[in-house]
Amino acid sequence: MNASTSSATPARWRQRLAPALTVLAMAMGSGTGALAQSKEVVIQDPGGTYGENLRRLVYDPFTKETGIKVLTVQEARGGPRIKAQADAKRVEWDFAFIFDQEVHQLDAYLADIDYKKLSPEAQKTVASLPKEAVRPKGVALQVIGVVLAYNKQAFAGGKGPRTWADFWNVKDYPGKRCVPGWSRFVFEAALLADGVTPDKLYPVDFDRALRKIAEIKPHVVKWWQTNSQATQLLLDGEASACVSYSGPIARLKKEDPETPLELTWDQAFTYYDFFSIPKGAPHQDAALKLLSYRLDAQRAARLVEATSVALPSPRVYAAADPKLRDYWTNSPEVEKKAIKWNADFWGAKAPDGTTNEEYAQQKLNQLLAR
Amino acid sequence: MSLASQNRVRAPWMACLAWGRRSRAGGLQTVWLLAPAGLFLGVFYLWPLLDLLRLSVAGDAGLSFYARVFAVPLYWDALVRTFGIAASVAALCALFGYPLALRIHGARGAWRVFLLSAVVLPYFISVLIRTYAWMVLLGRNGPINKLLLALGLIEAPLALNFNRVAVLISISAVLLPLMVLTILGNLSRLDPLVDRAATASGAGPLAAFWRVLFPQTLPGLLAGVLLVFVSALGFFITPALLGGPTDQMFAMHIAQQADFLASGGFLQALATVLLAVTLLVVAVAGRFLGFEFIWGGQRVVRHAVGTGTLRSPGPWAVLSSVCGRWLADGLGWPLLRLLGRVPAPAARSVGWALAGFALLTLVAPMVISAIVSFNNAAYMSFPPRAYSLRWYERFFADSEWVSSLLTSVTVGVLSCGMSLALGTSAAVALVRSTLRGKSAWMLFLVSPLIVPGVVLGLSLYSLFLRLDWVGSVAGLAAAHAMGGLPLVLVIVAAGLQTVDVRQEQAAAVHGASPWRVFMWVTLPAIRPSLAAAALFAFLHSFDDLVLSLFLSGAHRVTLPLRLWGNVNYKLDPLPAVVATLEVALVVLGLFLVRSAWFTRSKPPGRPAEAAAG
Repeated sequence: MNASTSSATPARWRQRLAPALTVLAMAMGSGTGALAQSKEVVIQDPGGTYGENLRRLVYDPFTKETGIKVLTVQEARGGPRIKAQADAKRVEWDFAFIFDQEVHQLDAYLADIDYKKLSPEAQKTVASLPKEAVRPKGVALQVIGVVLAYNKQAFAGGKGPRTWADFWNVKDYPGKRCVPGWSRFVFEAALLADGVTPDKLYPVDFDRALRKIAEIKPHVVKWWQTNSQATQLLLDGEASACVSYSGPIARLKKEDPETPLELTWDQAFTYYDFFSIPKGAPHQDAALKLLSYRLDAQRAARLVEATSVALPSPRVYAAADPKLRDYWTNSPEVEKKAIKWNADFWGAKAPDGTTNEEYAQQKLNQLLAR
Repeated sequence: MSLASQNRVRAPWMACLAWGRRSRAGGLQTVWLLAPAGLFLGVFYLWPLLDLLRLSVAGDAGLSFYARVFAVPLYWDALVRTFGIAASVAALCALFGYPLALRIHGARGAWRVFLLSAVVLPYFISVLIRTYAWMVLLGRNGPINKLLLALGLIEAPLALNFNRVAVLISISAVLLPLMVLTILGNLSRLDPLVDRAATASGAGPLAAFWRVLFPQTLPGLLAGVLLVFVSALGFFITPALLGGPTDQMFAMHIAQQADFLASGGFLQALATVLLAVTLLVVAVAGRFLGFEFIWGGQRVVRHAVGTGTLRSPGPWAVLSSVCGRWLADGLGWPLLRLLGRVPAPAARSVGWALAGFALLTLVAPMVISAIVSFNNAAYMSFPPRAYSLRWYERFFADSEWVSSLLTSVTVGVLSCGMSLALGTSAAVALVRSTLRGKSAWMLFLVSPLIVPGVVLGLSLYSLFLRLDWVGSVAGLAAAHAMGGLPLVLVIVAAGLQTVDVRQEQAAAVHGASPWRVFMWVTLPAIRPSLAAAALFAFLHSFDDLVLSLFLSGAHRVTLPLRLWGNVNYKLDPLPAVVATLEVALVVLGLFLVRSAWFTRSKPPGRPAEAAAG
């Protein structure tokens, strides 16, 4: 070996290493950057049966027609992710559903939706939406219902509780309860059970609600955290009545007409989930195309028939099979009976500088931990 | 060409491999093998944690977020409660795990293989799936209630779920393998002659156990207790799913705060407090026990000769030795003497009962999952009314599930590769160099294992965002390798110590280059260790949910993550299918490792084959 080869070695190594390093760097960075140009759109996804139906009825046909791939991210609550991505200037999502109470807080992070770029069919559907469901930075694509659900077999003659006062009345409506471990909905249900009229619910009297929640606490078998638990607890007989989302109960009733589960729309809470495009989203045009596709009244009707999670448009409602829309959260019956849940209140500033939702959550946690 | 000139032209990285030399220079060169692991943990571990600390006091917040953590009784109470739960879990694991470890130690042949598999298998099945299985087991209509009802022991189903007992049982069942493996490690290092000497000197079986064997296994037992205690501190998914309202653990508050928009800073303060508390526990324990407990009570790094092990005992050492002697004389020995007088058959049956129960808690979730996976119904029910392969078809027909499986395997293999490369080179550096402060290095390199996953995930998220690594397969694999590296390091370092340095020196003297020495002498000898390390590192990544929750993006979703979404939004038998497939995969993996173990005696012929092992 001589001096010349030995001095050449490092250079040759560097040459050989260079491609390897490039590959490594690309592999590390392939999360978003490298693929951002390809035809795709990234959307937050609710997962479960809802997610499966979205894929089957909307995303897959959309990909077939346009060649744009739909990538889904499963995340229950997208707000914090949007904020973190924007702060780091690495926005990955093109479409997110935002809790109504977070729309104001996230204002600076969301893009204006250019409704004029939607297809004519989609624009018609948008025009049919209630005024409060269409905002510059978000459009409500689903009406969510939070209801009192129960197992008929647990009550004599199958007559279950109808109101939140009944829900709190464990003498006449025996059995355990299950309730979400969250401040929202639970505080309102407690106040209604305590005799507050729906028009006086807001601003929520935290202390009064907490006193009422303390009453039901010994009878609650589980303060649930995940969507599916309420249905499972009712089916297993762990609880006789629950505060639950309406969607899973409605789906179960459709799949199995014999199911002992029942829900009541009296004093149910309904609210909108807003779909927004984050500022700096990499595929804004694709996102608008997907939105157009989803707002096609016929297609949207098929989706809601399958999922029972309603799109708040009378056009879509009219396009659906009347037999399959009993449990839609925007049916005339529900609109008459349900109470509009007030997102603005929960998103507002609390006495300690956090939001009302966080403030009440901490109070509820304290009560539950006792 | 002379040897000297050969040395000169050798690329620096080749010189790094010259660990066989005992000279000062050789030692220094070997030390460089520590650099990759040190650099890696510096970037992926230290930097994010420091950033977490910065965020918790950023802006004009100062210490106000910490003030809130300690001013609101909720969080302080949760911290105290978390300590209580972790202590109970550690005690339960010790009570049931110790007898089981003894039985395994005494077992031979197929029975031993069965017992060992029963311990090792669940260790690698997703915590999520095990929690899910316990939900079924403890349910109102679950097998336990059904059995008790059928036996006529109870009139109405017991409320087994959603209380402290359910939390303790499920966390203990999750951590029991850790305890058993730690104690087993200690047992296997004991000299069997001591036991025989005790018997020969006239000690009965119980006296021999309590007064001879038990004191020797105390280090392993204590190590197990501490490991389980520290691991239990960071739990949040299991108590959220199986606990009641009074079972809020500290990490659950971190997970909940991560969902709020305006929680920046406070969130980081909560995580920092959990980290600080965990490190404090480890520091105090290490002070009295030595930090070896983190890697299972085994002295991996032998002190190099003449590096000042003879230092005068400090006040702490004096205090702990005085306290230890007082405890042993006043409490330990009288208690052991008393226990030695228990009638032998009674003691033996209690031991068997405890071990049997421990075994049952390990095996039952897997059996239940397997049964549920063949359920024909749309919802979970036990026992299933009709059996079918419906959910298996569903799993393999759904391209997303299959691609998740592939993603998990890809991430696992990548992570395993990184862990092996970094961990093995660090192990060589620590075992073969004359570096000072080896224990400190070992402690640093192994420490990611004790940091709660939720803290690691949270701290890594902001780093990954900034570097645009969120959702990248290699990034996730690197995050997983933080836990894989310590596993490889510990296993390979132990393997290296059994290799005779003189063989390496002999090869080097006869002209083999350091690389050749490594491939032909060292590698074949440590092959079983490498195989075991590879399996552990792979499964550590394959099983992870918490880090993936923070670091995954839209493009690739790992299996545990998809499972998490599934369990969240509907309860059907699909997770049971995943659990059963995972068991099958692990059994296959164990089988491969065993065959690698048996081929160990083959002559070290082809380096390429050895590298593949």
